[in-house]
Amino acid sequence: MTKKSGTSPPPEALLQFADQVATAAPPAAPPEPELQLVAFELDREEFGVPIGQVREVVRVSHISRVPQAPPHIRGVVNLRGRILPVVELRSRLGLPPAELTPRARIILVEVYGRTLGLLVDAVSRVVRVPRSAVVPPPEEVVSGRSDYITGVARLAPRPLILLDLDKALLLTGDSP
Amino acid sequence: MLPGPDQHPFADLIHDYVAECLPLAERVTEALIALERSWKAGDPADEEFAPLKGLLHTIKGNSAMMGLTPLQELAHALEDVWALLAARPDLRSGAADLMLRGAELLADQIRAAGSTPPDAALVAAFRDEAREFVGAAAEPAGLERRKAERRQGERRQSASVAAADTVRVSSHRLDRLLEIFGEAIVAQAALEEAGRALGARASAQGNLAALDRALTAMRRTLRRFEGAVMEVRLLPVATVFGRFSRLVRDLAQAESKLVRLETTGGETQLDKSIVDRLGEPLVHLVTNAVIHGIEPPAERARSGKPAEATITLAATQRSDRVLIEVRDDGRGLDSERIRLKARALGVSPASDNPEDVYALAFLPGLSTSDEVSPLAGRGVGLDVVAGSIRALGGSVRLTSASGRGTTFTLTLPLTVAVVRSLLLGVGDERYAIPLSDVAATFRMDPERLHAIEGRQMTLWRGTPIPVADAARLLGVPPRPEPARRYCVVLAASGRPRGLLVDRLLGHHDLVAKPLDPALGRPPAIAGAAILGDGRVTCLLDAAQLGAAGDGTAQAGNR
Repeated sequence: MTKKSGTSPPPEALLQFADQVATAAPPAAPPEPELQLVAFELDREEFGVPIGQVREVVRVSHISRVPQAPPHIRGVVNLRGRILPVVELRSRLGLPPAELTPRARIILVEVYGRTLGLLVDAVSRVVRVPRSAVVPPPEEVVSGRSDYITGVARLAPRPLILLDLDKALLLTGDSP
Repeated sequence: MLPGPDQHPFADLIHDYVAECLPLAERVTEALIALERSWKAGDPADEEFAPLKGLLHTIKGNSAMMGLTPLQELAHALEDVWALLAARPDLRSGAADLMLRGAELLADQIRAAGSTPPDAALVAAFRDEAREFVGAAAEPAGLERRKAERRQGERRQSASVAAADTVRVSSHRLDRLLEIFGEAIVAQAALEEAGRALGARASAQGNLAALDRALTAMRRTLRRFEGAVMEVRLLPVATVFGRFSRLVRDLAQAESKLVRLETTGGETQLDKSIVDRLGEPLVHLVTNAVIHGIEPPAERARSGKPAEATITLAATQRSDRVLIEVRDDGRGLDSERIRLKARALGVSPASDNPEDVYALAFLPGLSTSDEVSPLAGRGVGLDVVAGSIRALGGSVRLTSASGRGTTFTLTLPLTVAVVRSLLLGVGDERYAIPLSDVAATFRMDPERLHAIEGRQMTLWRGTPIPVADAARLLGVPPRPEPARRYCVVLAASGRPRGLLVDRLLGHHDLVAKPLDPALGRPPAIAGAAILGDGRVTCLLDAAQLGAAGDGTAQAGNR
């Protein structure tokens, strides 16, 4: 056995380390609750997803079709040797299809412990939104869509629709 | 995708324990089944006692070392009964069932030891039963046992020293090795692609020749690397076959039938990942054979067969494939009944060829038996069996002769590292198909295509074969009138079928990866792979494509 589990550093070293950690920590000011979001465009509307779920944003390379895949799957891409499915977010959210432009991007998100690509018209910005600026979605935004919209952030120049990815990408059923 | 490094400091040790002791426990079961037969035939088989005792003793010792006290006690209880039987031939045939149940419990508990602690209550119940059995018998046996045990202990010491040139490696590490090899293959394909692109520009000829030589050398080295990686992953099929003697015995007993299991070719080797997943489909097939295939002894006697039926598990290697047969000498399948049942599902066979009729038995929802048995359900779904064999990159075929028996032939790939494939251009997409499924390719002139009874057919080697358009099957937007097309003849499910494609793009060694579950389970797609230019291609499942191509199996598709 080479793994040693019994050896531990002397207590003094531990204490020193603890001191270091304690002094290095900034004075605890109550942080203002805010959300950090990656914002993207779909059909002239702006949507946002929590940055914590976003792994990476990549340009659209070749997307290979997968025969007999569910309708909202655009295909698969090679991301540094990994083969990842790409969800056509427009069709998933019930928006009309559109031609890909050079601004189109694939947002790689972490959902249910897996990495999926979301095909969007463009990635617009990364924003911090105070929680207080988020209001429940007004009727006209929600109508016709399911419960995957968690709220709307009142931002300039236009409101940002907050998406619950876990719900929006429930991939078992049919499109909404 | 793969489980990470061992989470627990003992995980390695437990893993080793299971790896060493499970085969021993399975050997105990097998030996007991053989002994039970001998005893019933009046042969005391005294010479079998020592080896079995050695096995039990090793299991006991290893269990004690791992702190698996219940298993240590269980092995000990079995030893006690065994010692008694050694001294008392008169008790043997009456104790066979007790020993077998104990051995099976032992194997189950060892198998589970990696994930769950032993079930102390089950073990205690058996121990009490064993004690009662031993207690009911005479006293002097105890003395005999201790003497025998002392002798055995000496022998075990020498047996536990493993051969010095063997290394135990966790299977995670083997999987990792395979994964890295796969990455090397993909990198090589990318290099070759880059080399070709450079060659197309053709300025520095001399340097290109050097590049070509280097690429050829690398290709050769990677081939050998592949061989070496695969070799360390090979396991004998006997590790799967081992479980079946017990299964057959129990099923036969429950069904009041007499069945003997024969296994041949157990030394044939297969990749570990295939061996691991082969058990379930084989259990399905063997269970079906005992319950539905084999007749009750009286019926067998009436048709002049020996009362005892035989089920054979046979493995053989054919070049880069391994064939596994599950054969019974029972009543055989009624092809007329299969045809009727399929018709009820709205499906007719591709032809009256027996092979095509029997192929219908693999349709989802088709059962060839009307009896309901608590053990087999209504003729366990052969579509499930076929599905799991296909998932391993293999195929399954069925032949039967009325009154003489049924044979299932599983064809499995020897290697799982790379799939030698033919790349096809369909519309603007590219798809790959395993070369082992491709019988031929040829230019398809429009005048060679005939419509017969609404089906497209063509002549190939003098016989008409059905032809299907790949773009239509795969839902790819077709190209506006391609200049020329090709026909790929698929021979996956025994009967050749043609697949019309736009372009043939050469042979490629592909590293197949499973599809992400988000993509559903497209039946015609076996996996995905990365090509030399970095794009992804889907690997087609020839058997499924062929099935959809003749217009008969639409029932299975959405």
